[in-house]
Amino acid sequence: MNSSLFPNVWRFLGLILGQGLLLKQAVQAVGSAYFNVILYPMFILLLPVQLAAPYLVLLGFAVGISVDMFYQTPGVHASAGAFAGFIRGLVFAAFAPKGGFNAKDPIFAPHYVSWQTFLSVSGVFFFLHLFWYYSVEAFTFVYFASIVLKTLSSWSITMIFVILYAALFNPKQ
Amino acid sequence: MGRLLQLLLRNGGFVTLVFVELFCFMLIVRYNTSQAVIWANTTDIFGGRFMERRQRVSDYFYLQERADSLATVVDSLQERLAWARYVQVPVRDTFYRVTYDSITGTDSLRRKYLRPLYEYVSARVIENSVTSVNNWLLLNRGKSDRIEPHTAVVTPNGIVGIVRHVSDNFSIVMSVLHSQTQITASVEGTGAFGSLEWDGNSPEVMLLRNISKHFKEKIVPGARVVTSGYSLMFPKGIPVGTVVAPPAEDGENPHFLVVKVRLGQSVSDVTDVSVVRNLFSPEIDSLKSKIKR
Repeated sequence: MNSSLFPNVWRFLGLILGQGLLLKQAVQAVGSAYFNVILYPMFILLLPVQLAAPYLVLLGFAVGISVDMFYQTPGVHASAGAFAGFIRGLVFAAFAPKGGFNAKDPIFAPHYVSWQTFLSVSGVFFFLHLFWYYSVEAFTFVYFASIVLKTLSSWSITMIFVILYAALFNPKQ
Repeated sequence: MGRLLQLLLRNGGFVTLVFVELFCFMLIVRYNTSQAVIWANTTDIFGGRFMERRQRVSDYFYLQERADSLATVVDSLQERLAWARYVQVPVRDTFYRVTYDSITGTDSLRRKYLRPLYEYVSARVIENSVTSVNNWLLLNRGKSDRIEPHTAVVTPNGIVGIVRHVSDNFSIVMSVLHSQTQITASVEGTGAFGSLEWDGNSPEVMLLRNISKHFKEKIVPGARVVTSGYSLMFPKGIPVGTVVAPPAEDGENPHFLVVKVRLGQSVSDVTDVSVVRNLFSPEIDSLKSKIKR
């Protein structure tokens, strides 16, 4: 547990700053409602596999509310982050092989699991997170079609950055 | 309890999520303009529906009360109808005698014979006082509603006052709680009558003065007091109140008795009243003027 503390703290800070300073500016430069990159849930995805669900929810909330500080939308990203923290366990359970990831792998990364598993799990994970985020942002299901459209378009762009992140940093713990 | 705790522990993630999401929800609604607007509109819609439904439920619980009050109104209407019929004059011709119903009497011949003596105009009290020596009320009806000065103001439970001044749409009523009030009233079933006055003390109690001494034994507490009918303003038999104490010797006028009467209609909380108009009062007044000196 102790050995995994610092990598996660760095990831936390790095992803918040990357999201709030770099990605936000880049997205604003493009200036389309359907172009968005939300990479910070990567922090939740890469938290230790053994971590209990309540901690995941609270840490998801923490990373979300930090991102909210940059976006000036208090509560929106926090809500999506907490939801992502909760949903991670369910997605893992759905995709885990018979024995589960738990025993030998400290974190869920391509270094430990196959790229195929990593992409399917992160794909579902980021899709759910984005869908929740856009739902909370719209705050009504009156614009359900637009929520789904935004989710799909932003999800495809975000997934490119997810692959880039995993390939470049190749996180091990 | 143990099972509940176990359930909580097993679903710790979900429970945490619920609490965190509630907190986020609060943050979003509090600090984000567009979401706050949506939330406010939604709560307005659902709040309105909820209030409406709640009103319907609470209405149901007050049905009994409303039915009671409607029954009182029906009673008083029937009383008035009976009184209106009482003054009908039978139409007589050489073959048979018919009494027309004043409600259906429409042609001029019938109208000539079938005549209600009083007309009731319902009104609402919009200003009221009971605390001074001379009290007044303001009604939301006036000249345009055929209200004239010197007409009586009553409710099904009792008397309220006498109209003194009228404008086009409003009228001022001298409350029975007024130092100059003098209304002839009788104790039902005894034939005793006297003058109803107010001593300026309790707004619930009035004094029936100038009762002959031989009624001393006949008047008992609880007896009903009604208007006597010896007046152009108040029809006969309108309830006034009940006797609260046995008759006593009047300090101001020791040859007569005085009786304390608790008003049937408390003036302090009266809202809906009827103004009673004597349809023949101008005629009777002009007739009476012939015997004045």
